[in-house]
Amino acid sequence: MEDTAHQVPETGRSRRPRGGGAWSRYASALRTPKGMAAAILLVVLIGGALLAPVIFPGGYDQQARGALQGPSGAHPLGTDEFGRDILVRTVYGLRTDLSLILTAVPVSLVIGTLLGLAGYVSKPLGAVFQRVLDIILGFPGLILGIMIVLVIGTGWLALFLAIAVAGLPGFGRMARGGLLSEEQREYVLAARVLGVKRSTIMVRHILPNVVDPLLVQASVFMVIAIFIEAGLSIVGLGINPPNPSLGAMLNVGARYVQTLPSYVIGPGVMLLLLALAFTLLSDALNQAATRR
Amino acid sequence: MTLSSNDTGATAVGTTAAGTTDGPATNDAATDVLLDVRGLTTEFHTAEGVVRAVNDVSFSVRPGQILGIVGESGSGKSVTARSILRMVRPPGRTTAGEVRYRGTDLLTLGDKEMRDLRGREIAMVFQDPQSALNPVMTVGDQIAEALIVHGADKKKARERARELLGQVGIPDVDRRLDDYPHQFSGGMRQRVVIAVALASKPSLLLADEPTTALDVTIQAQILRLLAELRDQLGIAVVMITHDMGVVAEMCDEVVVMYGGRVMERGPVDVIFGNPQLPYTADLLAAMPRLDDVAQGRSLPAIPGSPPDPANLPPGCPFQPRCRMAEDVCSQQVPELLPRVESGHLAACHVTQRGTPIPPLVTAAAADRVHGGEARPLLQITNLRVDVSNESRGLFRRPEPVYAVDDVSLTVRSGETLGLVGESGCGKSTLARTIVGINQPASGTIQVGDHVVGDKSGGDAVRRTVQYVFQDPYASLNPRRTIRQSLEEALAVRGVPPRERDAEARALLERVGLAERHLDRYPHAFSGGQRQRVGIARALAADPKLLVLDEPVSALDVSIQAQIINLLESLRDELDLGYLFIAHDLSVVRHLSDRVVVMYLGSFVEVGDAEAVYSNPQHPYTAALLASSPIPDTAEKNRERIVLGGDLPSPKNPPSGCRFRTRCPIGPLHHPERTICIEQAPALEQTETGQLAACHFAGELSRAGALP
Repeated sequence: MEDTAHQVPETGRSRRPRGGGAWSRYASALRTPKGMAAAILLVVLIGGALLAPVIFPGGYDQQARGALQGPSGAHPLGTDEFGRDILVRTVYGLRTDLSLILTAVPVSLVIGTLLGLAGYVSKPLGAVFQRVLDIILGFPGLILGIMIVLVIGTGWLALFLAIAVAGLPGFGRMARGGLLSEEQREYVLAARVLGVKRSTIMVRHILPNVVDPLLVQASVFMVIAIFIEAGLSIVGLGINPPNPSLGAMLNVGARYVQTLPSYVIGPGVMLLLLALAFTLLSDALNQAATRR
Repeated sequence: MTLSSNDTGATAVGTTAAGTTDGPATNDAATDVLLDVRGLTTEFHTAEGVVRAVNDVSFSVRPGQILGIVGESGSGKSVTARSILRMVRPPGRTTAGEVRYRGTDLLTLGDKEMRDLRGREIAMVFQDPQSALNPVMTVGDQIAEALIVHGADKKKARERARELLGQVGIPDVDRRLDDYPHQFSGGMRQRVVIAVALASKPSLLLADEPTTALDVTIQAQILRLLAELRDQLGIAVVMITHDMGVVAEMCDEVVVMYGGRVMERGPVDVIFGNPQLPYTADLLAAMPRLDDVAQGRSLPAIPGSPPDPANLPPGCPFQPRCRMAEDVCSQQVPELLPRVESGHLAACHVTQRGTPIPPLVTAAAADRVHGGEARPLLQITNLRVDVSNESRGLFRRPEPVYAVDDVSLTVRSGETLGLVGESGCGKSTLARTIVGINQPASGTIQVGDHVVGDKSGGDAVRRTVQYVFQDPYASLNPRRTIRQSLEEALAVRGVPPRERDAEARALLERVGLAERHLDRYPHAFSGGQRQRVGIARALAADPKLLVLDEPVSALDVSIQAQIINLLESLRDELDLGYLFIAHDLSVVRHLSDRVVVMYLGSFVEVGDAEAVYSNPQHPYTAALLASSPIPDTAEKNRERIVLGGDLPSPKNPPSGCRFRTRCPIGPLHHPERTICIEQAPALEQTETGQLAACHFAGELSRAGALP
């Protein structure tokens, strides 16, 4: 009897570097072409945003001599209606956008996940939270933002709240879906039968398996967040001037689209790059997460 | 023979294969060959190198013949079938060989000609009828589609669809033609899949594990249908299966595959009567059997597990597991050479020289230690389990659905109680209720001195009862190493952290694994090894009773005997009690002291294993026994009871006796027996000693009993 297993030739399967901890898997996502491109793009964008005061020490509201000048050596994208350099303002706008996205989305992720997993603690509570999330889901991001602006006025905080709240249903539903399917997994049942504590089962068996899709969702939502900011700013409910944001610049630039196309092209391309980076990242994460 | 529409129930007693077993044509009878596969090789190009899933495979099929391709997982049998139809998905590619169908090489055919040929000449039946049918198309449309693709007009196609459904034994065709696949049961769906395959009157049917997803009684129906189609329409069938029993019952010729190669080939009688490959011989010996009487001895088992096609051993692929292996076996791949009997070929260096294969010697099982008096470990009294909460209504209380309805049983220490029933009979619900995953609606479960469900009893119950799952892969967290899984269980038992390492090693050793396996993840193990880990984890809680829910049915045949032997020795060494659940009577035969047969939530027969197997009193037990395919061609022509119909839903069980809608001796066939409709039979003592719940207990025992 005991001879049986020892003789088994080592299967080729064991060579595959799988399973080895969550971090190595996410790291492997970045080693794919898509992940690599996303990482490089993000490093450049975030680096540029962080270093904006160093690269452009004059700040975003330094005025040049002429307003609405076309692209030139001194102003690669021209100047805006107040004679401010559009490229500089675009980079500062990116700074604003990233400061929003990279804070609001993680906050939304954490709160949404907690709301979604509440059903593990108490079934009625979980059901109540789901209905609350359904109500939020009933409002499109833009309408939700307008309502928040009505209550607390325009500004960074309003955008932050609009993005964070708009993300809750997605994260909450996904976490709950993960919870419900993981709870029926046999290894969760096996742990229950063994008598493992409920809190331990949550942390050890359920949460790690729920996190994957949530991270993918987070990077998808980053793209949506960019457009919530842009959307609110375009209708004039975003960042207060003179502070730049990509959406606010598009809002104003649209008026000059015929005379000075680069006014729109600058922030537009920047938005596109940002969205591209997060889309690539979510794709790469998704592939890594579903590869088993 | 006419096709009996199966809804009328049962008992068409007869023989399946009609005498095509007379001497196979000599090898040069190429005149009459439908499909001739020569040197077929299919490779998969993966990041880790080239995997040769099918390696130099040759065989031929004559019209009207049933050829079986048997093999375990990874043997290349399914890829062979897909290669024939050129349906191998990238990165797979057929790199060598010929597939001659009526003389044309399919591998050189243009895509259009090939598409035309598929379905019209060669059709395929897949394993899982659920996923082979489109859920948003009516079955009539799906059958008609197969015809329209090949150029029939709509009206004719529908007419033919109706005819085909009747031919495969679907009752009430006119109404069911416009039903969707989900409205059919598993067995009926497989009939529909066969009807789709038959639509354009193909000459060759490739059936890839056509009955593996089905229950035994349904399997018997489908096998009978295939045999009848062959007899009536003269269709040749290539049957891919892992089940030697199905081969023995159905096939004229067999191809045994292992590690991507054909290792043995020949007429079915010769292969079963005088196998020339140690693998075939041992596999036949290792199969759990209904007539297993080797009491006191363990099952003959093949060590190890089937090789990973990506990592085949050098030389003969079976050599690392072979008890007759010599030096030459690991150096040189054996050739498939003709043997004494005509048409018989085998690839083995050792038997080629005429060395006979000695019978597998089995170890004497360990003495069973009974710790004095056999204590009752588990007592279930009048248990009912309601599973209705999924279908909760908005305004009213849901109708109760009792998946387990008023059952009582006892398991003692050192004893195995076998619980047998088909899918949906409530056996898993019962098991899960015992370990507290489901809640009982009424009745009591007593474990030792504690009642399950009591607040105080919870821990004690867990200490006493542990659960082994059917699918060891699903029941191990893929992100945790074996060490982590075992230590978690040990921590719950209260083993101090310092001692856990030693305990985990001891546990692994106990189940036949080595220390080096501790830090691996579940995916690095083979199925059998994973199940050993599952057992080790259950043992970590130091239980007295194991609930084994189909512990071997997800495993390869050659592994099943290993696990059954392991369970046997654990039981005898540790004085454990087992509740062993299976859907097939032959699997529980070796271990069980007593057997319970379950049907639609209640027990229909309870008794000593010996009595139940030799003298089944309930017609359902008799039918189950008769439906299990036996890996012995001598049994090919035995009388068998083929139950018609499907398991009714527990939501709406039949009045009176729950088995009456399928019973071969019930009111379906004896209209005067109204008692079956009016009154539910109680479990009562029968003449032969066991309990049976039947008004006419014992009437059918002879037909189903084994010699």
